Formats: sequence, C-alpha cells, structure tokens
Amino acid sequence: MIAAAIHSGIQVTSGAERVPPGLARNVMTISGRELRDAVRARWFVLYTLAFAGLGLAISLVSATATGGSGLASFGRTTAGMINLVLLVVPLMALTAGAGAIASDRERGMLQYLLAQPVSRLEVLLGKYLGLAGALLSCICLGLGACAGVLAWKGMGTDPAAVLWLAGLSFGLALAMLSCGVLISTLAGRASVAVGTAVFAWLTLVFVSDLGLMAGAMALRMRIEQLFALSVMNPLQVFKMWSLHAADASLDVLGPAGLYATEEYGKWLHALFAGCLLAWIVVPLAAAAVTLSRRSPI
Amino acid sequence: MNRVIGAILVCGGAWLARAGDTPASLDHEAPARTFASRQSTLAGALSARIAAAQAGAVIEIGAGVYHEHLRIDKPLTLIGRPGAIIDGAGSGDIVEIAAEGVTFRGFTVRNTGIDLEQENAAIRVLAGRATIEDNVLEDVLFGIDLRSAPDCVVRGNRIGGKALDIARRGDGLRLWRSDRGVIENNVLHDGRDAILWYSSGIKVRGNRSDDCRYGLHLMFSDDVVIEDNTLSGNSVGIYLMYSAGVEITRNRLVRNRGPSGYGIGLKEADRFSVRENLITGNRVGVYLDGSPFTTKQPGVFTRNIFAFNDIGVTFLPSARGNEFTDNNFIDNIDQVAVSGRGALTGNRFWKGERGNFWSDYTGYDRDADGIGDFVHESRTLFESMTERNPEMRLFLFSPAQQAIEFVGRAVPAVRPEAKFEDEVPRMRPVEIGFAKAESGVRSMTLAATAFGLLAIGGGVLRAARKDGGP
Repeated sequence: MIAAAIHSGIQVTSGAERVPPGLARNVMTISGRELRDAVRARWFVLYTLAFAGLGLAISLVSATATGGSGLASFGRTTAGMINLVLLVVPLMALTAGAGAIASDRERGMLQYLLAQPVSRLEVLLGKYLGLAGALLSCICLGLGACAGVLAWKGMGTDPAAVLWLAGLSFGLALAMLSCGVLISTLAGRASVAVGTAVFAWLTLVFVSDLGLMAGAMALRMRIEQLFALSVMNPLQVFKMWSLHAADASLDVLGPAGLYATEEYGKWLHALFAGCLLAWIVVPLAAAAVTLSRRSPI
Repeated sequence: MNRVIGAILVCGGAWLARAGDTPASLDHEAPARTFASRQSTLAGALSARIAAAQAGAVIEIGAGVYHEHLRIDKPLTLIGRPGAIIDGAGSGDIVEIAAEGVTFRGFTVRNTGIDLEQENAAIRVLAGRATIEDNVLEDVLFGIDLRSAPDCVVRGNRIGGKALDIARRGDGLRLWRSDRGVIENNVLHDGRDAILWYSSGIKVRGNRSDDCRYGLHLMFSDDVVIEDNTLSGNSVGIYLMYSAGVEITRNRLVRNRGPSGYGIGLKEADRFSVRENLITGNRVGVYLDGSPFTTKQPGVFTRNIFAFNDIGVTFLPSARGNEFTDNNFIDNIDQVAVSGRGALTGNRFWKGERGNFWSDYTGYDRDADGIGDFVHESRTLFESMTERNPEMRLFLFSPAQQAIEFVGRAVPAVRPEAKFEDEVPRMRPVEIGFAKAESGVRSMTLAATAFGLLAIGGGVLRAARKDGGP
C-alpha cells in the first residue's frame, strides 16, 4: 500500500521532464503515508487511550486529594504526569520506531519501496517524520485532556508548566523514536526488533536508575558523578528538565539537584537540550548509516 | 549642558540663600528645580534646622533632595512632606537618632554607603522610644538598625536593599538589645536578613519580606509575637534560635527555597506555638532542631497548612516533645521526614480526638464521623532511603521510585518501620479561612492551554485522515 502510494506520488512529481524529485517532497510523501497508516493502526489507538485514560485518572485523583483548596504549586499532579510520561511515551515511541523498517523488510516492502526513485535516507526520514507526527498527536491529546480536567476542577496548575511538559514529552518521544528506528534497522526481523525495543525500554526506565541508585550507594559516588551519569539517560534528562522548567530550581531533587542548579545555573536548559538533541540525532544518524549499508532484504 | 546650567542656577541660589541660611554647596542631583522650589533643599539645611530647634519641636520638611547625613540628638518630630528625599550620596550612614523619643516620618532615605564593616545604615537608632514611620528606604545597605533602643515603633516603612549579591548586602531591619519594640506593616525586599537579637517582648505584625536571606531571624529573643506576616522567596522564612515564648500565628510562608530553604526553622527554642500558618512551596516547611529545648511544655503546631513543600516537616533526632493537631498536610513530597534515621518517638501527631489531615491517607470512614477508621502511618521504602541518603532524591518522580515503593509494600522483609502514627486522621482538610487562593484566572488560561493541545492533536489526526487515499 505504502509503496503503491509512493509510486503514484513520485510519478506526479517527477513528471515528463524526468527531473529528480526533491528530497523534501519525497520525504513529505512518505511521511504522509506513514502518519496515515500509523493513526489507523491499533497500537496508536490503544496507546492514546491508555495515555489519556491514565492521565485523566491522575488529574481527577489529585484534584480530589487536594480537597479543592485551590492552592497549588508543584504538586502531585505534575509529578504524576511526569511519571506517566516516563512510563508510556518511551514505550510507545520505541515500539513504533522498532516496527518502522523491520516489518517492511520482513514483508519485502522495503525492497519494493527502494526500487522506486527514492533514496534510503528519504525513506528513513519520511517514516521518522510520519511516526513523529502520530506521537505528537497522541501526546497532545493525552495532556490536553488532562489539562482540561484540571481546569474544570479549578486546580491552579501552571499552564506554562503543562506546555513545557507537552513539548518536552515530544522531545523525549523523538529521542526514543530515533532509538527505535535504529533498533529496527539493525534487527533482522520485526519480532526481534519489537522485543529489543521493549528490552531497551525496560533498561532505560528501570534498570539504569535502579543500577545507578545501587551503584551510588555502594560506591559512595560523588554528587557530580551521580549527576553526570544520570544526565546520560534521556528519561532523567526529560524529568529534570520538566522540573527545572516548572520550578526554575532543581533543589527538589536534593543535593544532586542543588549541585546542578549551582554549577550550571542558567546553562541547565542548554545542557538538557544538548543531551536530548544528541539522543535524537545520533541514533537516527546511526540508523541512516546502517540502512544505507545493509541489503534491503 | 543642562547640568552646567543647573549648577549655575544652584550657585546663584546658594549665593542668595547664604544671607539667611547655612553655608551651602552644589546640588548636582536636581538642579533647576531646587532653585525654583525652595532654599531648604541645600545641603546642610536639615542639620541646621535640627540644631536650631527646641527639644520637643515638630519640624516639617518640604519636597526636595537633601544630600545630608543627619544626627538627631534631641527629642524632635521630623515629618517629611511628600517628595522629601534624604540622599546619602553613597557614603556612610544617613540618619542617626541619638536621643530618646524621636519621631521620624514620611521621608525617602536613599543611597547609603556599601561598607559592611561600618554597617552603613539608612536609619540608625541609638536611643529608646523612637518612632520610625512611613519612610521609604531605597538602595540602602542596612535599613533600620536599632541598637540598644527599647520601646521603639517601626511601622509602615518600605526597605529596599542594594543590587549586590547576598553576601555583600546588609540587613534590612535589625534589632539589637532593643526590647518591647513594635515592628508593623513594613515591606522588605532584596536585603539580607531581618534580625531580632537579644530583644524580648517584640511584636512583629503584618510585615512582608521578599527575596531576602532570612525573612526573620530571632536569637535569644523571648516572648515575641509574630503575626500576619508574609515571607516569600527568602532563603529562610522565620528562623528561631535559643528563644522562648514565641507565638507564630497566621503567617504566610511561601516558596522559601535554596540550600537551607525553611519556612520556619526552630533551633533549641522553647515554649513556642505555631498556629494557622500557611506554609507552602518551601523546600522544608518546618525544620525542628532540638525544639522544644526543655520538654516541660510541648511545641504546639495546630491548624497550619503544610502544602506542596518538598518536605512538610523535618525533624532532627534531637527534636522531641512536639504536638501536631488539626494541621493539613497536603501533597508535600515527603509529608514528614526524619533527618538521619530513627523514628519520631517523643513527638505526637494526634491528641485525643484531634488528628491531622493527610492527603496521602489511604483508609476510609465507614461510620462517617469525619475520622478515618484506620491509623495513618507513614512508611515508604523510598522515603526512608532518601532520609539516609539524601542524594537519592535525584530519582524522585521516576518509575524506579515507584518500583522501590512497590517492593517496600509487597515484601515485608524490607518494609521500613512506621515513622509516626496518627490514630485519628481527618478525612477532610481543616477549613482555615484566610488560606484560599485565587485561581480563577489561571483556570481560564489552563482551559485555553488544554484546548490548544487538543486542537494540535486533533489537527494532526484530521490531516492524516484527510490525506488518505485507498
């Protein structure tokens, strides 16, 4: 289906003069198809419902727990949201990315697609952007619904914090999508790719944090080492950045947060942005290289 | 050019004025206007009027900028009319009150020196029964400094510090061995501390302190009443050391953060009560170190709101003999923490039928008497971990934290001991009148935000569907 659509799209663009179609145009065509397929897929509907549902539950519970006092600051609501994003968004993005190339390869679609006048980079970018669009939609719908409930319940949650949370969630989703796509290009089969993606999710969400905790306690790690190691995890970067954006200070995270605030101060935004950007660009570049070297079969 | 003309005009004015007044020098600040308005704006004019006045006289000072350093050495009433500005030109103290019974009202005093060792102050009071009222102090190192000045009234002043980093600033307000003072309705901002040391029987009411270091710092000051103050954005709201008989009532302690970051800190204080305060958004709401110092009389904490602090109340192991009743503990990340390890033996979280409201209470109330049917006890594995290793707070809000807490609930072997118990936890928060917040405007923007996000999400979906062919 995708290939057929691409085929028609490219015929239109290339036209009689046989001008090679522009990169942007091909990418847009592929991403449009990918987005369309994604939002019709079952995984997208399920993830969106789960994300929005859990988010609504958190909003309602925290609205009743506060007893409608109307007081608000950085509370359990925002903490719950961050927690939810940390669980759901990476899983969604990793598995979506993992399905992108590997399943096409398995079904022979990739071979067919690449027989069209499109480059491998165009295919990769197109698929990436299409999936990114689907993830953006999912995040906005979920957080939008939560914000709606909070507004209705008269909670004093800061709108700017919600917007930051949405933006940063999307950043995290892009990073995880890159990793997913890399896994997808490396894996031989779709099932392997998805399995690896789930394993990667488990590692990033639980294993690395628990390992770091144990290591820090056992090795009596210094604060700066602990902070440096945790900044390597994109999930921690997302978490710290959203706290920093909501509150301008990381002292809620104890000594390590104080260290970060004092040491980096206003450069924290840049530091976090750099880390997250690296997690977006590096795996995607690695995926492009892998795809260009491997046989499409 | 203007300045030159102004200087010439002022010179002329000075020459004209010389006949009836004291010798004058140039006024560079407000040249033409001083000449036009009145001769008393010339330097030295105020000192001369003070020197000429009888004890007990009332001196009214008109508008103008006075570049002077005053010493008031007899009981006078100085009243500044609107626009009366005394400018220290960036050196030394500005007003020194050396006689009892002086009233100093309505002036703008600005621009002290920045010498921390000399403690350059806008108004220094060295004698009792002074009244310092309705003044505006701008760009001052120390604001109002009372040294051995009992029975003074400091009311309605606005004290703004210098734009220096905190270590180079001075104290906006300081009382040193000055008993029975009244500190009322003052506003302090961007200073270092407000200090009450060795001064007993003080009333501190209705003041406001923003972005200072210590909102109020008491040491060896007994029988002090602290009421209706708002202390926000400071490093510490109220810090009470080695003092007895202090009542802290109806204050708002908001967002006092940073490495110390306490709403109220009590170190070896005795006979204190903390009632009806709003304590929200601080790093630590209340910090208890060795208080009450002698356990004859319990430390009373009642009808306070502890909300959205990182830690509601921190106890050092030395703190015992406190009673918490009818407080609201709402969504503090740690409601109650013990620094180091250990249980909160010797502190009570309920008395008779009066417990507290805990937003994390998980029980229910089948007999509908407003009191939960089960004991509220706080025991989470992650909290007990962070209390021993504070750096583990870095993992707050992460799923790993949830995993650890789940293990703590599921596996009895690693389940920590309960930190404290509240046998009669309230099901609903205590209504405390003054603490309602205004969130109407925010709700609207929040609703707009929600709508915007939904529109983006829906828009992407729509575009994707419309794009469709087969």
